[in-house]
Amino acid sequence: MAKYRALLMCLLLLAFMVSGCSSGSSSKSEVKTLTLWYWNRSLDDNLINEVQKQFPGIRINAQKIGGDFKSKLKTTLAAGSGGPDIVAFNDWVTELFPSADRFYNLYDLGAKDIEGDYLDWKWQLGVTPKDEMIAMPIDTGPTALFYREDLFKQAGLPTDPEEVHLMMDTWEDYFAAGEKLQKALGGKVKLLDNIGQVYNQVNSQSDKVYFDKNENFIGEDPSSSMKKAWDLAVKASQMDLLANAGTFSTEWNAAMNNGKIASYVGAVWSKQILMDAAPDTSGKWRVARAPGGDGNNGGSFLAIMKTSKYPKESFEVMKWLLNSENQVTSFKDLNLFPSASKALDSDLMKMKEEFFGGQATGEIFTESARNVKPSYFGTKYSNLNGIVNRELSSVALEGKNSDKAWKDALSRVKKELLR
Amino acid sequence: MVKRKSAILLYIGLIIGLVISIFPFYWLAVMATRTTAEIYSFPPKFWFGTHLISNVTRVFDNVDFFGAFLNSLFVASCSTLLVLFFDSLAGFTFAKFNFPGKKWLFVLLLATMMAPSQLSLVPSFVIMAKFGWVGSFKALIIPGMANAFGIFWIRQYAQESVPSELLDAGRIDGCSFFRLYWNVAIPILRPALSFLGAFTFIGSWNDYLWPLIILNDESKFTLQVALSSLNGIYVTDYAMVVAGTMLAVIPLIILFLFVSKQFISDIAAGAIKS
Amino acid sequence: MGQPLQNRTQFDPGSSMQVSERKRGLASEIWKHRREYLAISPFYILFAVFGLFPILFSMYLSFQRWDGIGVMTFNGINNYQFMVTDPEFWKAVRNTLLIWIYSTIPMLFFALIIAFLLNASFIKFRTFFRIGFFVPNVTSLVAVAIVFSTVFSNNYGLLNYFLSVFGVSPVEWLNKTWGIQLAVSIMVIWRWVGYNAIIYLAGLQSIPTVLYEAAKIDGATGIQSFFRITIPNLRPIILFTVITSTIGGMQIFTESQVLVGNDGGVSGGGLTIVLYLYREAFVNNYFGYGSAVGWGMFILIALFSLFNWLVVQGGGAKDE
Repeated sequence: MAKYRALLMCLLLLAFMVSGCSSGSSSKSEVKTLTLWYWNRSLDDNLINEVQKQFPGIRINAQKIGGDFKSKLKTTLAAGSGGPDIVAFNDWVTELFPSADRFYNLYDLGAKDIEGDYLDWKWQLGVTPKDEMIAMPIDTGPTALFYREDLFKQAGLPTDPEEVHLMMDTWEDYFAAGEKLQKALGGKVKLLDNIGQVYNQVNSQSDKVYFDKNENFIGEDPSSSMKKAWDLAVKASQMDLLANAGTFSTEWNAAMNNGKIASYVGAVWSKQILMDAAPDTSGKWRVARAPGGDGNNGGSFLAIMKTSKYPKESFEVMKWLLNSENQVTSFKDLNLFPSASKALDSDLMKMKEEFFGGQATGEIFTESARNVKPSYFGTKYSNLNGIVNRELSSVALEGKNSDKAWKDALSRVKKELLR
Repeated sequence: MVKRKSAILLYIGLIIGLVISIFPFYWLAVMATRTTAEIYSFPPKFWFGTHLISNVTRVFDNVDFFGAFLNSLFVASCSTLLVLFFDSLAGFTFAKFNFPGKKWLFVLLLATMMAPSQLSLVPSFVIMAKFGWVGSFKALIIPGMANAFGIFWIRQYAQESVPSELLDAGRIDGCSFFRLYWNVAIPILRPALSFLGAFTFIGSWNDYLWPLIILNDESKFTLQVALSSLNGIYVTDYAMVVAGTMLAVIPLIILFLFVSKQFISDIAAGAIKS
Repeated sequence: MGQPLQNRTQFDPGSSMQVSERKRGLASEIWKHRREYLAISPFYILFAVFGLFPILFSMYLSFQRWDGIGVMTFNGINNYQFMVTDPEFWKAVRNTLLIWIYSTIPMLFFALIIAFLLNASFIKFRTFFRIGFFVPNVTSLVAVAIVFSTVFSNNYGLLNYFLSVFGVSPVEWLNKTWGIQLAVSIMVIWRWVGYNAIIYLAGLQSIPTVLYEAAKIDGATGIQSFFRITIPNLRPIILFTVITSTIGGMQIFTESQVLVGNDGGVSGGGLTIVLYLYREAFVNNYFGYGSAVGWGMFILIALFSLFNWLVVQGGGAKDE
């Protein structure tokens, strides 16, 4: 009998504990709690903590969400409830354009007044073709050429960023220099990281890739960079310039630290990855304007969910978090590269960096950020990009015939467009 | 002499298996004591480094480790107790009693295991939202408290190990259904239960995607959810992630040290039958 | 198909106590077994509340076009049509089967051997070994992924390091289809051998020692008693491991995802069915299509499990 009682007690206790967990949501009516979903290092935690001081009567419930941020957001959107007030987006913002009605149009909340403070191309990335603004810029990812000065020198190539830029103004010139470099270093070092990175970087320098603003596929149009990017990527592979290390994978990190890759084209935020992964190469890196022109990779946004009860307050908080002064602070704390034009003028951009041999890389990236062309990605951008990248990796790693791969990619893309 | 030789061979086999089995955990511990750059160095460094403290400190700075630890402990313990009770009751019933429709009920039970859980992520969340359970531990504990896997396991185990004669005897003595379960079956099922308990606890402890989607308040984050927030989109402090991951595994190993005695102590179960 | 499973006499109050009684109606039959139904009811109640709706919903969804957020539109059987004509789906099926074969067979084989060794009466430090073999299953998948990516890494991997020690040139494991499949299979084997060994061990220990003693007195050899006593008594447990590892193997997902990403790595070598489902639904936003894939997969698993069940059961009939 004692055993029965013990079991019963156990179950009762459990029921009690489980039900006890969900209670306790009594907050005073004066305090408005805004829930924020973001991920590690997308916003400056110090600034988030300061919001409470800046806006009395507002409490921020900031939640850092890890790797599967997008799955969580999509599940919540699908269910139609349980979401936050303010939510961070990455460059997949365009995937949410068809669901623009699930977010507040920031133009309705007064975003027009501050539009001029931000880089136009970045601002436009958060505006739908119907002129609804669903997302406000946090940071940007202007691209440039990262290269190992010591290896360039050994190979008899120019080493000064200015000269490097002049000599490797186009991708073809860059590849030719790479061939020379690889020969001079006895084949131990590769010029570039991988085939997909070439393809993606060429596209990121262009304003027309897969879609026009009416969501028509333009990949086969001569104005699109798709085929040009493909050909350049294939060429890099045929010239054996690739280390075949997936971008920012652990593989990539290791190859950088071990000096197996002499250069890559990447966004400003990859600086942090490089510095963490390859401390052994400190002082040996330099940054120059990228071959083929300036471009952008990534950079995030903030949006307000339609389910939020406090859109006005949320907007005010966002406006404050993302003003140019605070963007300078975030750049200082976290290397988040500004999207506000005024922040680009900050003296901080001229700061010399030890990792880059005393070069002020901020000057290069500022130039790059000012020259990015506004472009429209299209809602199926990442689907298409995934298809092409899969075919490219087959070309680079499994020796698939590049013409056949191009045909396969196009036919799969067309199938995708009909879904 | 031949016996001795083969015994030594067996030991060697077991020890090789053991080394392979434990090595990745050792490797995790080594990586947790090194900097991110050291982890990537070649040739690899096989011995412990000196950065354990700084890695662990960064974990504690970034996540509320002990709060998350307690949350995980609570969720996993509740789940385990409930699963043990409901699964053993149902599994025992399926193994040792006949009733109309049993065959098809059991086939249905097996069939539910075959639907991939990723498929039901969205609709399950819709249900939780309707119940108002989003953000609550209930959503993590209740849906899984009687599961097909455990019932299947207990049924298979009970089939051979619980002698029908013993149940007949109990029945003649006037034992109720529940008494048969509690006094006759449970003692025999103990090794199977301790396995199921350990497995359920581990599964709940390491569960990640569902808690990530359900929990909305940092104070309720379980360990895996809290640790996942260490990953940035662009930049990840790899050494810190490794250290955090290792810290999350240690409690499970300690728990398993306690439970594993159960697996062995029940040769006595055989004695009942003889 | 459930019936042949019960190869022992069942305790059945209905037939043993009141044999003489006439045929009763189903209702009273059910009433008489109310305790049994009550005992198994929690699972079915939970399933009805939490499991049935998702299943019906995904069935409905598989005939819709839905990006997961906006409005659904009826899509007929287009999702299913796309699935059977998409080479990537069939590649995923093939990969899943290959990885399943590479992993499950060695896994169960080694598990049985380890369990057998650990059950041998002369082995000392049993608890120690048991813990050692179970540690992989305790470790979270994130940890496993971190460790295995350093083992198979092209640039800094342990495997390539050992190869270089023996003067063999390094292999780009994760840049090859077969390499990815091998790595995923090894991850699965490593993680689940100990677990299955513990299951077998629990089964072995529930076999009464008197059976072996009697066999010994009758002059049976070790091999004879293995096939005559151990295997038949272990059959329900073996069946359990075969069925669960079939279902688990068909659903391999996280191992691939953490090792080579949502695309399944080079040429999709690690693209399993569930990874494909996840990618199409959560990455490419085809939730309707993802549901259709889920149902296609359900049918494949059911056929496969049935096949396995029949093989294990059929093998049993010959032994007895």
